[in-house]
Amino acid sequence: MKKLYRFRRTGLIGSPFKILILNIIAWIIGILWITPFIGIFMTSIRPFREVVLYGWWSLSPFTFTLKNYIDALFNPMFSLGRGLLNSFIIAIPSTLIPITIAALTAYGFARFSLPIKKYLFATILFLMAVPQQMTIIPIFFLLKDLHLLNTYLGLILVHSSWGIPWITFFLRNYFSLLPAELEEAARVDGASDFQVFRIVVLPLAIPGLISAAVLQFAWVWNDFFFALMLIFDPNKMVVTQMLPRLKGQYQVDWGLLSSGSIIAMLAPLLIYGFFNKYYMRGFRGWAMKR
Amino acid sequence: MAKGVRIENIWKIFPPKVVALKNINVEIKPGEFFVILGPSGSGKTTLLRIIAGLEVPTRGRVSIGDKVVVDADKGMFIEPRDRNIGMVFQNWALYPHMSAYDNIAFPLKLKKLPKEEINKRVKEVAEALGIADLLNRKPGHMSGGQQQRVAVARALVKQPDVLLLDEPFSNLDARIRVTAREFVKEIQKKLGITTILVTHDQADAFAVGDRVMVLRNGEVQQMGIPEELYDQPVNVFIANFIGDPPMNIFKLPTTHELLKKIGVDDEIINKHKEVYIGIRPDEAIALEPKEEGHLKGTVIIIEYVGSRKYAKIDLGNGLSIRALLECRADNGDTVSIRLVKVHVFSETGERITTIRF
Ligand SMILES: Nc1ncnc2c1ncn2[C@@H]1O[C@H](COP(=O)(O)OP(=O)(O)OP(=O)(O)O)[C@@H](O)[C@H]1O
Ligand SMILES: [Mg+2]
Repeated sequence: MKKLYRFRRTGLIGSPFKILILNIIAWIIGILWITPFIGIFMTSIRPFREVVLYGWWSLSPFTFTLKNYIDALFNPMFSLGRGLLNSFIIAIPSTLIPITIAALTAYGFARFSLPIKKYLFATILFLMAVPQQMTIIPIFFLLKDLHLLNTYLGLILVHSSWGIPWITFFLRNYFSLLPAELEEAARVDGASDFQVFRIVVLPLAIPGLISAAVLQFAWVWNDFFFALMLIFDPNKMVVTQMLPRLKGQYQVDWGLLSSGSIIAMLAPLLIYGFFNKYYMRGFRGWAMKR
Repeated sequence: MAKGVRIENIWKIFPPKVVALKNINVEIKPGEFFVILGPSGSGKTTLLRIIAGLEVPTRGRVSIGDKVVVDADKGMFIEPRDRNIGMVFQNWALYPHMSAYDNIAFPLKLKKLPKEEINKRVKEVAEALGIADLLNRKPGHMSGGQQQRVAVARALVKQPDVLLLDEPFSNLDARIRVTAREFVKEIQKKLGITTILVTHDQADAFAVGDRVMVLRNGEVQQMGIPEELYDQPVNVFIANFIGDPPMNIFKLPTTHELLKKIGVDDEIINKHKEVYIGIRPDEAIALEPKEEGHLKGTVIIIEYVGSRKYAKIDLGNGLSIRALLECRADNGDTVSIRLVKVHVFSETGERITTIRF
C-alpha cells in the first residue's frame, strides 16, 4: 500500500548549494518570526521598570517575576481567565461544526457528479474572497433579528459559516488525492455511499482533517473583529477582546499586556504542537501523487 | 452457487469520443475461469468494471445468473453492493488503516453478520489461503504476495457469485507469480466459483484460463480455449500477440518464391496480391543440413529460452526466421528447416488457411 503514497520529489533537494541557500532563507524567516515573540516573552517575565530602562534584550540586570501573569489572570476588573474560557466555548464548536459539514460537502464535490457542480464550486471560491468587513452589517442585522446577538451561539454560527467554504476547498483537494480504488473496493464489498465515507475515506483523511481543524481553531481563537462586533457582554467576551482592556487607562502597562498576550497565544500554540505531526502530513498530502 | 455472466452488446464510450468497448458479446458459464486478455488500453479493465458496476455501459446489457444487473437501453442499474461480486484490484486496494483481519471481515461486517460467524468465516478463508498468521498485520507490513492473498481472501469471504480479478499478478515478481497463479487456479477449482480475470500477460492467461477472450481496441478478436488461440489464430494480430517467442510473420507478394516452397495453393496465389505468412518458432525445426527440409538458411544468432535453443536463420533475399534448433550448429552454419505448420493470412489480416505438413 506504501506505493500509493509516493511523494513527489521537491526538486530542491540535491545540490549542497541549494540546501545552503534554503537554510539561510529559512533561518532569516525563522528569526524574523521569533524575535517579537521573544521580546514579548522577556517583557512578560520581568518587572516593567527594568524593560523600560534597559530594553528587553539586555540580560543584566535580570529579575525574574511572575507578577505580570498573576495580575493578568486574577485582575478583579476584567478576568482573563473568563476570556480564555469563553474563547474555548466559542472556538471548539466553531471548529467541529464547519469541519463536519465541510467534510461532507467536500466529499460530494470530490467524488460525485452534479449538473452545476463546477459553477457551485466556483461560487464558493468567489465568496471566499469577500472581505469580512463587507459582510458584518448584514450579519449584525441577521443575528439581531434571530435574537442571537451577544450570544455564544450567534458567534459560533458566524465563525462556522465563515469556515465552511475554505475547509470545503481544502478538503476537496485532499479527498480527490486519496486513491479511488479503495472507495471502489468498499462499494464492491457492500458499503453504501455514506459507509464508504465514514469507514474508508474519513480515517484516511485524518491528517487533512486535523490540518484544517488546527487552522480553523487558530483563526477563530485569534479573531477579534467578529467578536468585537457581535459580543458586548463582558462576561461573554473572548480572550482577544479582554487583551486590549489590560492596557490600562492612562499609561500602557506593557508587562501586563505582554503576559496576557502570551497566555492568549498558549492555546493555539499547544494545539499546533500537539498535532504537529498530522498537521505537516496534511499539508504534505497536497504534494502527494495520486 | 456459481452463476454465469452474460454480456450483450456492450458499448462504452468515454466522452467526448474514446470508444473503449465496441459491441462485446460473451456468455460466461457458471464455474468457468474466463480470462480477458489484451494489450494496454484495449478496454479490459473497463469491461471488468462494467461487470462490477463501477462503470456504466453506454449501451448494452449485463446479467449475472438470470438477474439483469445493468441495461443501458432501459436505464436500469444495480449498485455494485447488490451484485454479490468479489473483486481483486490491480494494486489490491487493501484498506491501509485496517489490519488484515479487518480487511477480510469488512464485507461481512457490512452485512451485519453476528461476530462469531464473521470470526469463523475469516479464520476459514485465511486458513485456506495460508495467511492465518498475518491477520493482525496492517497491509503496509506485508509483502506483495501476502497482500494479494489478503485481497483474494477479502473477495472470497462473502462467497460471491462471481469473482473479478484485475491483473492480480502484475505487481508480483516472476517467481511468486507462478505460485500465485497456481494458487488462484486451485482455489477457483476448489470453490467452483465463476471467475473473470483480466491480464495483458498471455502466460497468466494460459496458465489459469479455461477460456480466453482477446480484446484489441475495444473489439473482441477471438475467443476460445488456449489451444485454439495458439493453433488457429483468426488474424495476424492474434498470431503475433499470442505465443512466446512470437510467431515469425512475413508480408510477401504472392509471387514470392517462399510461397512455392511451402506449397501455398494456387487458388490463394491467384486471388491475392499480398499475403502474410506466419510460422511459429516452435513449428519450424532447424536440423542438420543433410536432413530433408522445406527451407535452407544460415544461422545468425543462437538464443537460449529456458531449456530450449532457438536460432535466428537467414533465408537469403532479406528474410530471416526464428526456429527451434534441434541440431548442433554455430553461427554461420547452414541448416535445413523442417516446417510443421504454416498460417496464411490475407492482406487485411484474416487467416485464410493453415497448412500442415
Ligand atoms: N475514465 C476514463 N475516461 C476516459 N477514458 C478512459 C477512462 N477509462 C479508460 N479510458 C480509456 O478507455 C480505453 C480502455 O481503457 P482500459 O483501462 O479499459 O484499458 P486496459 O485494457 O485495462 O489497459 P491496461 O492494460 O493499460 O490497464 C483506453 O483508451 C483508456 O484511455
Ligand atoms: Mg487495466
